[in-house]
Amino acid sequence: MGMGVKAVVGDEAQLKALENTLSSSAPPAQVGLVVGKLSPSSDRALAYSLIPTPPTDAGDPPCSLQPKPKPKPKPADSTSSLDFDVDWVAEHARQVSRMLLGGMSVIGIYIWASEASFKATSPAVLSQVVRAVSQVVPLYDSAVDERLLIHISYSPRRSACRICDMSSGSLRPCDFKYSKLLASLQTFRCTYNFEIRVPVVQAEPFKKVVSKAISNLTKEVQNAKALIDGILFSDAMDNTLEGPHNVEFLVPFKNNLPAEECSLEGVSGLLLFAGSVSALAYLGPKESVSEAISDLKLDIITSLRSRLDIILDEADGESTTDNLENSLSQKAAQVVFHELRAPYSFPFPRRILIPWLAGSYVCDYLQQSETTEDAMERCREVMSLEADMGNYSIVEPESASCTTLGSFWDVVPGALSKAPSEPGRKEIQSAENGLRRTHGSSFSILAALVALLIALLVGYIFTFSAILKT
Amino acid sequence: MAGSRRHPTVRLLCPKKSLLSPPSPSLRWLVGSPRFLPPLTVAAALRCLPGGADASSSSPDLQREADEIRGLLVRGFDVVGALHVGRSAEFGADARGALELARALRERLSGERASHGMVGGCVDAGTGEIQFLVSEGDGLEAVEAAGVVWEDEPGRLLWEKGCLLRCELPLKLPLYASSDDMSGIEARFFSLIESTVSKLRDPHVSYLIEGPLATRDESHYSVILHGNDLDSVSNLTHNESAEVYSANIVSCSKFFPAKRFNLSLTGENADAIQITILSNQSFNNSKANIPVVEYFPAPALASLRLINLKLDILCYSSVDLPVAAAVSELVIPGLADQLNVMKKAIVSELTTQQPQLCPYHFVPPGLFIPVTAIYDTRYGEIEEKQSELRRNLHLRLQLPLDRPLLRISNALKFSIGGTDKKASRNSSSLLRDVHREIPSSGVSGGIMSLIDGSYEYYHYLHDGIDDNGWGCAYRSLQTIVSWYKLQQYSSINVPSHREIQQVLVEIGDKDSSFIGSREWIGAIELSFVLDKLLGASCKIINVRSGDELPEKCRELAIHFETQGTPVMIGGGVLAYTLLGVDYNETSGDCAFLILDPHYTGSDDLKKIVNGGWCGWKKSVDSKGCSFFLKDKFYNLLLPQRPNMV
Repeated sequence: MGMGVKAVVGDEAQLKALENTLSSSAPPAQVGLVVGKLSPSSDRALAYSLIPTPPTDAGDPPCSLQPKPKPKPKPADSTSSLDFDVDWVAEHARQVSRMLLGGMSVIGIYIWASEASFKATSPAVLSQVVRAVSQVVPLYDSAVDERLLIHISYSPRRSACRICDMSSGSLRPCDFKYSKLLASLQTFRCTYNFEIRVPVVQAEPFKKVVSKAISNLTKEVQNAKALIDGILFSDAMDNTLEGPHNVEFLVPFKNNLPAEECSLEGVSGLLLFAGSVSALAYLGPKESVSEAISDLKLDIITSLRSRLDIILDEADGESTTDNLENSLSQKAAQVVFHELRAPYSFPFPRRILIPWLAGSYVCDYLQQSETTEDAMERCREVMSLEADMGNYSIVEPESASCTTLGSFWDVVPGALSKAPSEPGRKEIQSAENGLRRTHGSSFSILAALVALLIALLVGYIFTFSAILKT
Repeated sequence: MAGSRRHPTVRLLCPKKSLLSPPSPSLRWLVGSPRFLPPLTVAAALRCLPGGADASSSSPDLQREADEIRGLLVRGFDVVGALHVGRSAEFGADARGALELARALRERLSGERASHGMVGGCVDAGTGEIQFLVSEGDGLEAVEAAGVVWEDEPGRLLWEKGCLLRCELPLKLPLYASSDDMSGIEARFFSLIESTVSKLRDPHVSYLIEGPLATRDESHYSVILHGNDLDSVSNLTHNESAEVYSANIVSCSKFFPAKRFNLSLTGENADAIQITILSNQSFNNSKANIPVVEYFPAPALASLRLINLKLDILCYSSVDLPVAAAVSELVIPGLADQLNVMKKAIVSELTTQQPQLCPYHFVPPGLFIPVTAIYDTRYGEIEEKQSELRRNLHLRLQLPLDRPLLRISNALKFSIGGTDKKASRNSSSLLRDVHREIPSSGVSGGIMSLIDGSYEYYHYLHDGIDDNGWGCAYRSLQTIVSWYKLQQYSSINVPSHREIQQVLVEIGDKDSSFIGSREWIGAIELSFVLDKLLGASCKIINVRSGDELPEKCRELAIHFETQGTPVMIGGGVLAYTLLGVDYNETSGDCAFLILDPHYTGSDDLKKIVNGGWCGWKKSVDSKGCSFFLKDKFYNLLLPQRPNMV
């Protein structure tokens, strides 16, 4: 391996549509994210879609033309360089990446600007933006650390792609062509049931213990064997199979304790992290099935990590005290298990799948009090998704959770059960509170308001006009 | 006896000799496979061991016998009878007694009375006369067997229609106990084992079944079975009708190449269907629950012990059995058996350091079926308890008590995934057993007595050490040590010249200036080194002249028959290694099989044999030249075989 990206293929329908929208609305400059796939086994990068970064909380565009420096007056207007709100673009990347399923990631940025202002911008500034994005969305198991920078120029009108090397920050041009990608994606889906037990010895906070449980699970998932539509996956398997594929993961029987786990004294309790993840991964044309399997595995883990991040984000956020959801998360995040004397239970947010492009989906996570409307709203803002979902509707694969009843001695493995069956389970009351959460992160509320402003300033931008209509 | 009933025949796969030695009165358990071999076929005999401390009692300790045999026998084989060995006063009573004991043992082993035919026999150790009683079904009635058939090709009968399945299952079981009250730990441990056994049949469990990699061009066949598949197949097999099997039910034969070349089971490379037990994390796809974090505080501080168990079982099955039935009826019960055997071994040491139990499979010489031994690898193989365990196994399997045949390195090697095990095993590239294809000695009517076992040929210039002219005795010593190593008596590395010199300095035989020198060593020094490094004792024979050596032929022949170790010849001149003698007692004609350490060429067998560097030497050859010099004295060093297993 170790080969860099040599060619980039963009989805013709998606990319051309955005170019057309941009040239009709003609903003002076725009920045956004490239969603696609950089596979470690191939020198070909796939760009599925471009997502514009919305204006900041203050209503400023994340990318603008720098005001001409006064001391050095220059005659031509078009030579002003580009200026980026790097943190804002990075935050957008973080939010988009959380909504992407397996096989899709934020693999770079695009810039809509005139040839002149692009050229006037120093490569260091450009690679700084790409780097900021790459840092919040690291690509797993990729030997080559490279990202894309697609420049869509409006005068003259053409698109070009550069590869940005993350270690040196250098930019180099590469082949860029269009093809049919999204319409020929293959879908791999699975449900992964897990049950991780972590003995708690010291005073450890919520984040640490749950992170430990997730990393234990990561090892289990990474070593799992896969059945694709009931057939054991092997490297010899070819990629000509049709239709969406059901994947089952098999792990060694009863040997899922991590290697470093040894005998412990002074165990004050047991953390049980259990449930299912509905995972999905997309495989681009001409990619190997093994790629889809590792992307599906990654989707399982990132889904859990994202949910933990959401809980922690909410607890961190400058929360208003009357917001019950926030205070629940806050409580959870502040829990120190060691000190608890009564059984404790905290459900993770629920994953839902929202129709996106060409029959593919993105995902979002719902807290107990949230509805799919909340998710749709976030989607519109973050993914600049239109309300019209065509024939597709939201999928809610994960159902109301069950909780274990019983004490420590009932849940440890090989419990001396009075009854031969598993410990009793009861439904969690999901509507514990009547309060509705009004918004998710601070990012999404203001984005909605500011969209109006921008729209007025720049004229009718197709993407944001959708929000106005609703 | 009811003369009208048909009189069945007992078929024996084990050689008669194995049943008779030792001839002291004893009981043999007879092992067969009622399910996969023809009825009343005995594949092996295991000796019933005298009952522990209470040795005076003649009746066997059946509970102990059952516990030990359960761990030893692979699933698919069962106790099908017993044989009384001794001077039989009354055939009927002894055979009936053996039959009753066999039935009692069988009942303890499987928890139910045998439904198949059982045999009880009696053999007269003096005359070799053997007779059997046979009881069918309920065992209330026993008839005399019409005859006994000794099978010529036991391997063919066992393996033509039979095969092995192997399942390795590493388990890490978390055992929690209340820190201030350890009394409940045993009960929790038992319940942990029990729940583990019952989980083996959970519907979410999957079984990956892979055939052995037979040839290079044939990729191995594999199948996944799910928990639910097992039930359906189990029901079908009892249906007995082959047509009922649906196409997706694969029989064991499917996993082997159409033509199996190797029908005898050898230690180097055994073929087995590999079974891996997996847990299907995507079972019940339709029901996905939101992940929940739950915390259960312990009422009082608890302790956690990880119980590490490495299960490794073999099963014997007919190749016609559907593999799902083999998993359900052989593999899973076999795993449960081994888990229970290990449970008993561990329970007393739960709160201390756990034993590291490791099962190994063996087919020792004289046996045609594999057996399993579970060793505790905590303190190594040489540890006293482990030696005692091996000694008992040797006794039970009627193996000699001075030859290590059940060491870990003797265990069966399975070919997995095409990895070339041979290359990694023979780490040493030295030539072995170079005397195998040398021309005959030319002694007419002589009886050959040779070393017993393998050795490596060490000679001048090996390992880049220029010892030409002084290192011959060192080389002979290296060859002798290699014999001990290859016979599993020791695991030490063959010592270099310098290491040999160091030993001699350490024991005070030589000054420290000796290290690094080019001084000769002789038979006496060799005996010191062998004693120090291997704990091996030696006999020394002195002769004043080379002429006297032929007189020692009888003694040397006895040495090779009883000890079988290589002999070092030292003395006034050159050192040699002696590998055997060919001796005609009547004519006195004799020859010595010499392995010459003075060879300086490459390790080319042809060159070595043609050059006479390994070959028979007459004390006086056809040209009248003496091999051993008349005017020189000789010391013969006869290392003794250690009395250990």
